[in-house]
Amino acid sequence: MNNSLIIGQYVPGNSIVHRLDPRTKITIIFFFVFIVFFANTLISYGILTIFALTSMITSRVPIRFILKGLTPVWFLIVFTFILHLFVTKEGTLIFHLSIFKFYSGGVIQGLAISVRFFLLILVTSLLTLTTTPIEITDAIEDMLHPLNKIKFPVHELALMMSISLRFIPTLMQETDKISKAQASRGVDFRTGPIKDRAKAVVPLLVPLFVSAFKRAEELAMAMEARGYHGGEGRTKLRELKIGKHDILIYILFAFVIAILFYTRSY
Amino acid sequence: MHIKTLVTNALIAALYITVSLIGEPLMFSNIQFRIPEMFNHLVVFNKKYFFGIILGVLITNLFSPLGMLDLIFGVAQSVISLLIIILLARYIKNTIALMTAGTLVFTFNMFIIAYELNLAFKLPFLFTWLTTAVGEFTIMAIGIPIMYALNKRLKFNKLV
Repeated sequence: MNNSLIIGQYVPGNSIVHRLDPRTKITIIFFFVFIVFFANTLISYGILTIFALTSMITSRVPIRFILKGLTPVWFLIVFTFILHLFVTKEGTLIFHLSIFKFYSGGVIQGLAISVRFFLLILVTSLLTLTTTPIEITDAIEDMLHPLNKIKFPVHELALMMSISLRFIPTLMQETDKISKAQASRGVDFRTGPIKDRAKAVVPLLVPLFVSAFKRAEELAMAMEARGYHGGEGRTKLRELKIGKHDILIYILFAFVIAILFYTRSY
Repeated sequence: MHIKTLVTNALIAALYITVSLIGEPLMFSNIQFRIPEMFNHLVVFNKKYFFGIILGVLITNLFSPLGMLDLIFGVAQSVISLLIIILLARYIKNTIALMTAGTLVFTFNMFIIAYELNLAFKLPFLFTWLTTAVGEFTIMAIGIPIMYALNKRLKFNKLV
């Protein structure tokens, strides 16, 4: 369990991708997720794949971390591919197995969707692989700043996010302790019928909730005692700054988008 | 926002994420059993838990490779469903009845996720709705007695 104490999959490093402003990364990934759906030719998919792979290589994140992130997804990719084989009835008939007929259109569509799936996972996980949760929180607070005008509690949201990120490792340890304590008292979490296993969750959740609420109360009291008040007039420990690299990446990404729209078929 | 409400909700979000990290192996094929979804019932006891649940969903999705894709739709599904439950709470006063209604609302609203998957990966809509709804319904139905029992000991509405 100790390995999962860090939320997300952040891999420390000092590559260009690591050093980019988190706002840049979020913006580019947001648009990437959006434009992936416009690719529909071999070249357009190729451009996006090159972009994704280049970002991955320049991030210098060891390949095993990326593969680890993909583990839960492999099944879905394969499943989606097979589903398209069965469902799509376009193109020429290429294979015939009793009542099932497989068409070339199904293979092409299955492949295209799998590549799309793969690209999306690769690029989105690159954000959490190269950016700490705190940086992401700062970036989100900054990017949502305009919403302050319509009285949306941006600062409160960011503060809530930081507090909960801070307490995840603590609660993980707590869960570990509680489940061991309960197991030593004879609670069985792993075997038995579903009904019993669902019941076994209660002695785990009760102390977990109690401890979480206790911590919340202590923290709230400490904050009130120190006279905490939100965003207005506060300075920041970490300042975000758009650098040369960020601008370069934006220009490069604009090229990728341009080529994509030039090479896709309409 | 009151500091205590803010901090309690932050901790609820942390709890949501913690439980989701522990329960990760519980994803059978594409029927996903997200255990912390049972925390959705918290909003029945006090509507202030809304923020904590939403934040929990948001962070969980943000930091899991698959979740990032349905960041917008997943959060939207939770927001819409929770708001419907808060609205229903005006008319349904019985806790268990409201929790049951909440379970049905969340299960029904899985069509939002199915629609997203249909849009993004051309998965068949009805089939995807069924598989996603099964997971959601199971967890939330099991969650009714659990959250009810927890509330008896902890009194959720006074804690936030």
